[in-house]
Amino acid sequence: MSDPILVLAHIDETSQINIGAREALGFAQNLSENTGRPVECGLIGADNSSATAEVTELGATKVYTIEDSLLARFSGDNMVSAAAHIVSSSGARIVLIGRHPSTLEFIPRLSRRIDGTCVMNVTRIETINEQYTEIEAAVYGGAARALYQIDSTSPVVVGLRPAAAEAPTPHPENSSDIVELNLELLADRVRVITEATADEGPRLENAEIVVSGGRGLQNAENFALVRELANLLKGMPGASRAIVDEYWAPPTEQIGLTGTTVAPALYVAAGISGASQHMAGCSNARLIVAINSDPDAPIFKYADVGIIDDCLAVLPELIELLR
Amino acid sequence: MHILVAAKQVLDPDGINSYALWGRLEVSEDGLGFNTGATVPQIINAYDEQAMEAALQIAEVQEGTRVTAVTVGSDTAPDVLKRCYAMGAENTIHVHDDEKQSGNPFRISQILATVAKNLGDVDLILCGRQGSDYDQGAVPAILSEDLGMPFITMASQINFDEQTQSLHVDVVTPNGPETLACNLPAVVAVSNEIGQPRYPSSRRMIQSRRNPPTVFRADELLPGPATEKMSIKLLTVPEVQGNCEIIEGVDPKEKAKHLLQILRERGDLNV
Ligand SMILES: Cc1cc2nc3c(=O)[nH]c(=O)nc-3n(C[C@H](O)[C@H](O)[C@H](O)COP(=O)(O)OP(=O)(O)OC[C@H]3O[C@@H](n4cnc5c(N)ncnc54)[C@H](O)[C@@H]3O)c2cc1C
Ligand SMILES: Nc1ncnc2c1ncn2[C@@H]1O[C@H](COP(=O)(O)O)[C@@H](O)[C@H]1O
Repeated sequence: MSDPILVLAHIDETSQINIGAREALGFAQNLSENTGRPVECGLIGADNSSATAEVTELGATKVYTIEDSLLARFSGDNMVSAAAHIVSSSGARIVLIGRHPSTLEFIPRLSRRIDGTCVMNVTRIETINEQYTEIEAAVYGGAARALYQIDSTSPVVVGLRPAAAEAPTPHPENSSDIVELNLELLADRVRVITEATADEGPRLENAEIVVSGGRGLQNAENFALVRELANLLKGMPGASRAIVDEYWAPPTEQIGLTGTTVAPALYVAAGISGASQHMAGCSNARLIVAINSDPDAPIFKYADVGIIDDCLAVLPELIELLR
Repeated sequence: MHILVAAKQVLDPDGINSYALWGRLEVSEDGLGFNTGATVPQIINAYDEQAMEAALQIAEVQEGTRVTAVTVGSDTAPDVLKRCYAMGAENTIHVHDDEKQSGNPFRISQILATVAKNLGDVDLILCGRQGSDYDQGAVPAILSEDLGMPFITMASQINFDEQTQSLHVDVVTPNGPETLACNLPAVVAVSNEIGQPRYPSSRRMIQSRRNPPTVFRADELLPGPATEKMSIKLLTVPEVQGNCEIIEGVDPKEKAKHLLQILRERGDLNV
């Protein structure tokens, strides 16, 4: 049994694969070493030429590509049709997809379209045999894990938890077979009325330093302290969902399971309790600093360095010292 | 317009969080639940309450709108429907199914699709973006495929546009808000950005007793023998390593100084 492990990625206007796709290729490589199955990759986008080379360097032995200007967005009917076409062309029964905001739509739709199954927030694949595949996923915001047992006779689409694996080391000498596929595309049933355009500036998920604030800030005005400290540290501000729900910070700044996942060198959490749903978005930081007035706050279980004090007193001191 | 809201029952995530935080979250004997007993109540999934709110907001502007709520689950699941009724749903439907099946979104979707088809006149199906139990967020998108309807998720605002007779949906993306549109019937999944759901009316809460849900058994609604392609075999609780260095200092200023010292000593941070 050596049907391939297939990694699917969308190529956006940057023409590169995103961090999630790189992690998925790393995950695929580990799985390939354990099972002897080859790693293949499917690319869907408006222009896949440079990504084809990139995924080859990262270990794909065969690259399926579907290019069309109607595939510029990672959502909608055409993405699902294109992906289903690639899965059936490859014969893969394990399909891996890395973190991306659109997977919430894409993965379940694809799995249904190919008459398969899907699991989201996957941490590990434990067993693969002819009858069943056992897959572990983070559930209850990360407070628990569920072991799913899945019928192996149809494909399973696996949505990987952020940082489920590291990106593989690129090997420029690698080569791959390239298979260009074509597909009749239709106008999407969902129309875009106004599109969000990404700021040109730095992106939260790539930030090396993130300073986040939570309900301990007491009010909306005090979020300015978080912004200022982030600024002085040349990092970016983040927020807990509790304060996004209070409109102290915009949804684009939410860190966590249902917000952005970050893995910075330094993560400062001020007035954040450390609920599993929040930590799901930042526990991969290299150094976590917590500032919380409650010595029993769960954040201190995750933090490397802690200050037990009022964040409204500590943040201004840090700002003062850095100015 | 007839709106069907799909709502599920979940263990209160705040309760599960507090057990987890104190390191006391334990998996039950059968491996499929937690030993939290009655201290952690079963409640309506928060996003589904928000889906109810979205439905009621549409009903307020769209004359003649009816809202039906449906849940698939065990004996305790009708409590979710009582809440939906008290918020303003006209009719409620309980599909009785074994709790052990709740980890198979394909089964749930098939059941919900059959309910929608049997109702015959559903224009819009509203779901929550994900269940706070397994965090999968799979059912709504699968349902849209099962029913051949367009799908939009992460909705923060839903309007029906009379002029074009189409649905306009504001969605949340990492790049900021976006507006999408599609024709009805459609499946839309709602996110917390839709805002605080209204409080259920106590008068309707009492009335809900006299308006029990229509009940079906799951196997009555599943087309043919259900394909059991996936299930949850076991829950486990990961260890959280606590190894935090607490910074000493007489006042916030001293603590702040010590922190910067530690950060600078590490060398890998450019602070
Ligand atoms: C399905 C689901 C998804 C979720 N997704 C996310 C997500 O993506 N991101 C997210 O963040 N949350 C998410 N949550 C919510 C999460 O469970 C918590 O409710 C939330 O993270 C709490 O935010 P908080 O820490 O700011 O607030 P709280 O839990 O209220 O904590 C405030 C903390 O501040 C401390 N404090 C108070 N005053 C001070 C002071 N003066 N100085 C210092 N400290 C002080 C308190 O001791 C406390 O620890 C999700 C929940 C669910 C159910
Ligand atoms: N058992 C169920 N009964 C009714 N609706 C459900 C059920 N399971 C899931 N849903 C709907 O699908 C959404 C996503 O759930 P899930 O795929 O389980 O994360 C929920 O927010 C509900 O709207």
